[in-house]
Amino acid sequence: MTTDMTKIELGAVVGPDWVDELLLRGPDDDICLDVDGPVTRAALRAMVAQRQERLAAAGLGAGGSLALRLPPSLAYVANLLAGWRLGAQVVLLDHRLTQFEVDAALDRLAVQVVVSAGRVRSGALRAFADVEDVVTARAGRPAATPHAVIQLSSGSTGPSKVIGRTAADLIAELDRYTRMDGVPLPGERIIVLASMVHVLGLVGALLYGLHAGVRVQPPQRLTGDSVLEAVAADPSPATVLGVPFHIGLLASVVDPPQLPQLKRMTTGGELQPPAVVTAFTEKYGVPLGNMWGMTEVGVIATDLFGEHRPSLRPAFGLAVVERGGELLVSRPESPYVGLSDPDRWADGWLHTRDAGTVDPHTGLVTIKGRLDSQISIGGLKVDLTEVEETLGGLPGVEAAVVVHDSMVTAYVQLAEPATVAQVEAGLAERLAAYKRPRRVHALAAMPRTTTGKLVRDRSVLRDASREER
Amino acid sequence: MNRGELPSREDVLRLLAGLDGRTRDDVEERIESMELAWLVHQVEQHYGVRVELDEEHFGRMMTVTGAVEVIREVIGAAR
Repeated sequence: MTTDMTKIELGAVVGPDWVDELLLRGPDDDICLDVDGPVTRAALRAMVAQRQERLAAAGLGAGGSLALRLPPSLAYVANLLAGWRLGAQVVLLDHRLTQFEVDAALDRLAVQVVVSAGRVRSGALRAFADVEDVVTARAGRPAATPHAVIQLSSGSTGPSKVIGRTAADLIAELDRYTRMDGVPLPGERIIVLASMVHVLGLVGALLYGLHAGVRVQPPQRLTGDSVLEAVAADPSPATVLGVPFHIGLLASVVDPPQLPQLKRMTTGGELQPPAVVTAFTEKYGVPLGNMWGMTEVGVIATDLFGEHRPSLRPAFGLAVVERGGELLVSRPESPYVGLSDPDRWADGWLHTRDAGTVDPHTGLVTIKGRLDSQISIGGLKVDLTEVEETLGGLPGVEAAVVVHDSMVTAYVQLAEPATVAQVEAGLAERLAAYKRPRRVHALAAMPRTTTGKLVRDRSVLRDASREER
Repeated sequence: MNRGELPSREDVLRLLAGLDGRTRDDVEERIESMELAWLVHQVEQHYGVRVELDEEHFGRMMTVTGAVEVIREVIGAAR
């Protein structure tokens, strides 16, 4: 089923051919997805064709713009592939974003057609939802760039950054996966715990699985028992793909069953403490692989056998260098739409905003942490600056500082009659739940430096809050 | 925490704190989605029941107080 990607003409990747050739191709009875039951390639192709008709009827065509605001679901997969087959650009919006955030994104991107979730037929905590997909036409514009997919990142300055990736770029990432030692092989399974709306689950599970003939199988629910049931459901070898939170889930399962088909667990995201890694590997006796990537590029470097921890080896075709303590990755074109910032991309090098080193002898990369205010909440990137700016823009907020102090914590100075409850209600309208501060402390006066700048030192803020209680 | 008993508020706070090594006193009353997934998983591990939540249950589990009520109901019904 795997195609030699070097033989795909670049000109062919903008039409439906790349979807058919690289993702949907294969025997009719081949089970490509397993979502509460097997989904064959014939069934998936039929779902995609049906969605394609609906989207075309709503006015979407080649070069058009489509936004998906769906939880991970068959409806999401079918609409995504249908949009691409039509030659449209597809904007992926996390279904947890608030209406405020979604409206801002749709207006900014001038999307022509939106698919959102209507009735949700599945229960809570399902890994894959059973949703009714509702198509709405808007007064938008065709795609302004040749990107096949657009994603929004939590923005450190002003609004979110718009990140675009072409079909050719996605194909190049598929090629990287195909060449890696330690990824699931044709005939095997990926038990996917990472969201398919974000790059790890999207390319590392869905697109790679469809391309390589690896069955993509989310567990029924995101609990340890349910993940192990998914592994046990079939004798074929299974790789679990998730984020660090999921290692903790599996490591804390009491007396897991013997699962000879469990081959490996791989996670993307921040590095885990050695104790969690040991707990997992001792319990399951399989490698715990680690990946480093970003929305702008996809997978950059891997350690799928856990043999170089905490270091990783750059993937095929990518170069990683360290400049002034920051890691830069080769990328021929800027991924940012409508943004020209040499501090982010210049001369073929993308600034990752990750601090790190590259070993001159082995080429292994070691990540040392973030250089900006971005943090990871359960694998989702949150920029504290975005949270702080949103907070600072609410009525009654005179000054605000947001820090990560084991959890996202906000300190605010309020003008009467504003209250913390009003501030929290305002945030709930404007920011998705995973971005919102877990604690909002009101201070009579924010601590400031002698020059009047807001103090960001967590211990100073903590003390100021304690003194006022 | 005893497998045969229904979980108390203290038990739920302890399970939530186990997600990232916080103390029980540092657990917030409002529960966010990742904590909820962790809590359901931990209840299944410690009490040996499958916690199936409908939307009504889910909506009530956004606070520690609500989560304690729902978990006690669900475990009670499963036994």
